[in-house]
Amino acid sequence: MIGIFAGLLLRALVVLTGAALATFALLWHAPGDPALAIAEARYGQNVSKEVLDFIRAEAGFDDGFWTAFWAWLVPLLKGDFGQSSVNGRDVWPDLVTAMSYTFPLALVSLALGLAVSVPLALIATRKPGSWLDRGTVALASVGVAIPAFWLGLLLILLFAVQLGWLPAMGAETATHSILPALTLGFGVAASLTRIIRSGILEARGQPFLPAFIRRGVARRDIARDHVAPHAAVPVVTVLGLELAFLLEGLVVVEVIFARPGLGSFLVSAIFARDFPKVQAVVILAAVIFVVVNLAIDLIYRSLDPRVSERDA
Amino acid sequence: MTIQAYGLSAELSGHTILYPTNLDFKPGERVGLVGASGSGKSTLGHELVDTLRARGASVAHVPQSPDEALDPLRSMAFHWREAEKALGVAPDHARREMLFKALQIERGDLRKRPWGWSRGMQQRFVIAMALIGTPDLLVMDEPTSALDPVVAAGTMDLLEDYLKDRQTALLLITHDLGLAARRVSRLMVMEAGRIVEDAPTSKFLSAPETQAAKALCAHRNWLELPC
Repeated sequence: MIGIFAGLLLRALVVLTGAALATFALLWHAPGDPALAIAEARYGQNVSKEVLDFIRAEAGFDDGFWTAFWAWLVPLLKGDFGQSSVNGRDVWPDLVTAMSYTFPLALVSLALGLAVSVPLALIATRKPGSWLDRGTVALASVGVAIPAFWLGLLLILLFAVQLGWLPAMGAETATHSILPALTLGFGVAASLTRIIRSGILEARGQPFLPAFIRRGVARRDIARDHVAPHAAVPVVTVLGLELAFLLEGLVVVEVIFARPGLGSFLVSAIFARDFPKVQAVVILAAVIFVVVNLAIDLIYRSLDPRVSERDA
Repeated sequence: MTIQAYGLSAELSGHTILYPTNLDFKPGERVGLVGASGSGKSTLGHELVDTLRARGASVAHVPQSPDEALDPLRSMAFHWREAEKALGVAPDHARREMLFKALQIERGDLRKRPWGWSRGMQQRFVIAMALIGTPDLLVMDEPTSALDPVVAAGTMDLLEDYLKDRQTALLLITHDLGLAARRVSRLMVMEAGRIVEDAPTSKFLSAPETQAAKALCAHRNWLELPC
């Protein structure tokens, strides 16, 4: 068990290192002069060559890739995300502010998705193939296909513009979170419903279940003790991927609803070529991803210990 | 009391796979049900168990392979407790010890999940579980086909020993006439969803009447096998 855990940690470490290196390399080799972009962001158009040279020296662009990479990585390992290359402010406090808008929204969306998808999947699988089941599948398929930016705009049009019930932009009050949470939660609910439904159906097809019925085990007990754990295995496995979609959706939704969260933070940093900020978001996303997947891997193994047996 | 079931039948997507069949078992009787694969043996076994269960009769079923009897995500202890609960009997440590000893699995670690045990031990565990309530009828569907011949013979010997002075009737479903001939006093042959022959084992082996029975008996080399 300790060996497996060490293996998982090592894998996480490799992924994080790879993410750090790839991010840095991509931005480093991005077309255009980053120094010029920074200068324009700071001082407007028509900057002099001296200013550009100054910015290059300051940002370490002259020292070559590896020197610059190390100069960024070493403080990062100590938790120092560096300073914005545009306004010189520390990245970390601004990042924390952005996270304080994004994480609650993400959690509410995920909770909303689970609250809708679990009962829906349970109802649908009562009678597989019934109109209720088909309807659920159709709705979920449409839900997965609808892009968040379109749904977000539709919701704004209906609830903010037509009805005037809810605010469309900003994040001042809790009511500002309702429409973004609905937009994201809808997509999460749709894809989770499909996954949970097929997980339940697959679990119901397990070859040992008829024997339990013949043994006289109550249907309710079979559902709880045998079908549910088998259905949970694929669901837990996909939850990690679900998180990736959620992160992706968050960026779009935050921009649409003008929320000052991580998505807006990232988009404005990209436009300003504010490398330290972009890198901070990417590293943060990678850390979240790795930690969540590590947790999922451990839950998965506790649900189905055969996985560890095979690895050993 | 003789166990009787009438009019057992089954259809699968519009096709009759089991024609109406009547069965009866005397207490403690050992009956074999043989026939080629696809002749409807397992279907008859399932119908028999389900019908008797619905009537509240005490009947237990052992499927072909432990994979069809045990949940790989649950411990052996969980399976045992669950089986006791399903029968409505209180957990009884002494009874478990007795059954485990009878089937020689007393060294098995109950905290493990099925795949932590050998297949032979898993199957004996399933048989032990079926015996918890001392059923009036035990239906075993190819109980040893997933095991190697030596382990299979050993398992059957242990089971026979246990049932010797009990009233439990046994229906042994198998395509292996060698196994059945040594263990049962009465043999039934199935073909295409019907029981075509039902005779005492000795008569069956010496003078088979139907074509299906003759075909089964023609392969005499089964008597050389250990079970």
